[in-house]
Amino acid sequence: MRTLYSLIAAGLLAGAVAHAQQHVSIAPDLSGMWILQDPGSGSWSEFYDNVPKPQLKPEIITDNEAIAARERAGNVVNRAQRTATCPVGNLPMMMGSSPPLNIVSSRDEVLIGAESNRARFIYTDGRPHPDVKDPAYVPSGFGHSIGRWEGDTLVVDTIGFAPRVCDSRRPVMLTPGGGRAKDTTHLVERYRLVNADELSVTFTWEDATVLLAPHTYSYTYKKLAEGTPIENNDEPNAQPQQTYITDQVEK
Amino acid sequence: MTRPAAVLLFIAAWSGAVIAQGAGAAARPDVSGYWELRFDSFHVPTAVLTTQAQAAVDARRKKDLDAVRGCVNIGMPALMNDHATLDIRQSAGVIGMVAKSPSSTRYIYTDGRKHPGTDELEATTNGHSIGRWDGATLLVDTVGFNARGITAVPGGGFRTARSRLTEQYRLSADGQQLVVTFTWTDPTVFRRAHSYAFRYYKVGSISEPRVVNCIAGDADRVRFLTDPPVPR
Repeated sequence: MRTLYSLIAAGLLAGAVAHAQQHVSIAPDLSGMWILQDPGSGSWSEFYDNVPKPQLKPEIITDNEAIAARERAGNVVNRAQRTATCPVGNLPMMMGSSPPLNIVSSRDEVLIGAESNRARFIYTDGRPHPDVKDPAYVPSGFGHSIGRWEGDTLVVDTIGFAPRVCDSRRPVMLTPGGGRAKDTTHLVERYRLVNADELSVTFTWEDATVLLAPHTYSYTYKKLAEGTPIENNDEPNAQPQQTYITDQVEK
Repeated sequence: MTRPAAVLLFIAAWSGAVIAQGAGAAARPDVSGYWELRFDSFHVPTAVLTTQAQAAVDARRKKDLDAVRGCVNIGMPALMNDHATLDIRQSAGVIGMVAKSPSSTRYIYTDGRKHPGTDELEATTNGHSIGRWDGATLLVDTVGFNARGITAVPGGGFRTARSRLTEQYRLSADGQQLVVTFTWTDPTVFRRAHSYAFRYYKVGSISEPRVVNCIAGDADRVRFLTDPPVPR
């Protein structure tokens, strides 16, 4: 009989805890304004590539060398026309740029805005990825992200990147270290609060058409207490041939 | 374990769970979700404008059209009556709002901060918003607007750098409707405070993409906006 009471109590206790967890989020709150910690290179492109070297496929190395040669020859302005099919966003650049990230972490979705401009969305409501090969899927530079909590870590899975971007210099998104993010790419991010003021994000890129092995690196972001996002006030008409991201980089 | 001990253990655990739930739920309704406006969502009286505002309406309308043509961030209050579903996300200290139209993400800080001082406040299309919960109502105060984007205010008038917007957000008991009242004050535009209300309906999910790819140089788009087709 004593064993029976113990089992009943344990079962009820488990039910009560589950009930509480349904209603009270136990996930850390990542919300806030976070600024990427640059180790002091003073150069954005040097910082961007200051990660453990990826094992690139030979054809990617060759392509990187060709891009570098064109840039040395003065091809540094994006002359691609903006059209309705140009994909929006650039995840690797957004996460690796100096404008602070504004994170709003709700139960079902995490918004990550760059400064006060557009946000990327991480769905944490249990939904799966859509069929990114379906013609109805519209790929973007942010891809499609779903997340789940593993203890104190938000694990984010992203696929569905755009195969190409509207950039005459580099028509495919570059990842830190010289990789690529495109329709065949899979990204796993791990977000963890180191303490109240530091956020660590570890990125692992996988793409058999680009990499010989998964490429992993980490960024640390510092919290900006009471930071206020500024707004990109560039008039799109003033530089119709340049993308927003290009504007950011070249400034 | 004896029967009384088991009962006490369960009561203690259940009480803790209920108290914890109550602390989170009762204090702050969660307005997170996808929200859409429908045909019966609008209660918008006509604003009473100052003389100088009446004189400026046509010029403002042209400026707003230029902003649409130029794919400039639409800003407030247009963000709140976007034609596509609004995504609202709430955390403990900040609420984010994303419209589909070209716009900055709107942030409402509920962490107790004040507006920045005038020397630090950078004017934006959305302004700077702070909020606090008064029972089940979220009270939001916004200042610091610039003159960019769509400045038109529903019911008449427009926002300026001197405008102040106060909003009240109330979630229905079943969580499926969100009523927002907007009140604009601006001595250069409104002869008296101008208030109106929108009722948003919750939708379960929305489809991708979440962003309109606005192309300022799209000739067909510009032609439609500036020289619209007329019936033959």
